[in-house]
Amino acid sequence: MKHSRWRALLRKPETSSFLILCLAVVFFTVANDRFLSPLNVSNLLAFLPELGIIALGMTLLLTAGEFDLSVGAVFAFCPVISMLLVQHAGIDLGTALIVGFALTATIGAANGLFVTKAGISSFLVTLSMLLLVRGCTLFATQGFPLASWSGESILQILLAGSFYVGEVRLHASIIWFAALAALMFYVLNYSKVGNWISAIGSNRSAAVARGVPADAVKIGLFIVTSLLAGLAGIISSLRISSASPVAGDQYELEVIAMVVVGGTALTGGRGTIIGTIIGVFLLRIIRNGIVLVGVPGLAFNIFVGGIILIMLMVHSIVHKRSIRS
Amino acid sequence: MVRQTTQEVLRLENVTKSFGNVQALNGVSLAVGDGEVVALLGDNGAGKSTLIKAISGLHGVDSGDIYIGGKKAEIRSARDAMNLGIETIHQDSSLAVDLSIARNLFLGREPVRASFLGPLAPLDLAQLKRQASELLKRVGIKKNLDADAPIRALSGGERQSIAISRAMHFFAKIIILDEPTNNLGVEETHGVLNFIREVRDAGHTVIYITHNIHHVFQVADRIVIMRQGTIVADIDAADTDILEVEAIITGADRRELAAEVRRK
Repeated sequence: MKHSRWRALLRKPETSSFLILCLAVVFFTVANDRFLSPLNVSNLLAFLPELGIIALGMTLLLTAGEFDLSVGAVFAFCPVISMLLVQHAGIDLGTALIVGFALTATIGAANGLFVTKAGISSFLVTLSMLLLVRGCTLFATQGFPLASWSGESILQILLAGSFYVGEVRLHASIIWFAALAALMFYVLNYSKVGNWISAIGSNRSAAVARGVPADAVKIGLFIVTSLLAGLAGIISSLRISSASPVAGDQYELEVIAMVVVGGTALTGGRGTIIGTIIGVFLLRIIRNGIVLVGVPGLAFNIFVGGIILIMLMVHSIVHKRSIRS
Repeated sequence: MVRQTTQEVLRLENVTKSFGNVQALNGVSLAVGDGEVVALLGDNGAGKSTLIKAISGLHGVDSGDIYIGGKKAEIRSARDAMNLGIETIHQDSSLAVDLSIARNLFLGREPVRASFLGPLAPLDLAQLKRQASELLKRVGIKKNLDADAPIRALSGGERQSIAISRAMHFFAKIIILDEPTNNLGVEETHGVLNFIREVRDAGHTVIYITHNIHHVFQVADRIVIMRQGTIVADIDAADTDILEVEAIITGADRRELAAEVRRK
């Protein structure tokens, strides 16, 4: 009995991702003793949760069989619109954020409606949305970054405050990431709608035949994904005190890579929040570690791409094994 | 014999449905009694699927009435049909293969705690597992299936049995099987046919769509044949034979067909 439980654990996609994450940490620690230094860990953990928050939404969306390429553009759009309102319309930060999030939710809803009601693939819809949203952001700012909120505000502290644990400096974003990850883990694995999400991604017509409101669930997931990308953008812009119209460029690909490296199937039906957390850490640690190890800057992406491919191979082999037995 | 004394569970009156210029259903009237196994036959494009989709709520009808248990019914969605006691099992699309057996059995009707949370309500996993295990035992699926195993790990026959037992579990009055033995091996097909008999014995009405006329004679009480959107024959299985049924399906002359068979 115990034996088979071990085997079941080994067959989980998260397990292989986790083992490789451990290997990466050990390797980089041995290769460069600065890898685990408080400064490096602080740097790593400052940026990681921002991508992680987007990856959580993307995990649910991928599980339902869709994906969203517009998250990087939304990451820039939401803070830029909010800060424009603060600076040019004289609105206070709280109200500006509400307007920013409302517009962000509208983008998600538009994605969802085009995908479900017009039946256009999410690749094409969100690719167009990526261009549209990025274009709007660039035009609205004329391409220049905006100074972000500099005054004191309770919102600023809640979203981007920092504190020390030992010598490591952490930001509020890590708490947001942890809390949202816990929520999404619950939603995907233990809630009624989580069962629907997996079922829709696995076999949409079966879910519909059982009375699952597939279109409504998908539209909801597009909205959630947009909102999370917007939240990550706001957090990021408050942390670095700048709202840049080119922020988040190519984040969509990085985030999708994180999610699938964690073991979520690109084709839908199988999603794992634990795997996504591992994937987020793995990709950030690899990017950080490779630089520390001294790989030349221009050769950097060779390693990242290679490692992602290897991870996907491992998942594919593990998945095939688990079907056969 | 039993049939005449039992009640009517489903009645269609003059149902029509067209898609653009194509008249898919052209005034279909049909009555099905309690505990009957009715086989619905017809060539491709005869209107079988359209008829089934209308009954199971996947698309509406243009005109005509549907009565369930003697009462006029409005079936606008899959959920409406399920609430009226109609469960449809499509050939290979009724299960989500990545989900566990237990989660599939209760898909769309998950037992939850704290139901005021709506879709975010937590699944009652203990109850889910317990009910699923009981169900697997009750429907007598021979192999020891683990309720937590994903559907992906099951054979085609096992999958159909799971889908059919799900319908039985929810006390469906009418179970519609859309080509349930497609893509199944010989032994698995026999398993499913046996299962259909058990379903009938348990008091459910079955509407069984197939292309395989041999299977029909093994399980059906009545044979309904469609051609070009209408019902062209409605006969007791005991009163007919394969040759006649085949002739009606294709619209060929019976004697010609028999002669042709003899020549071979």
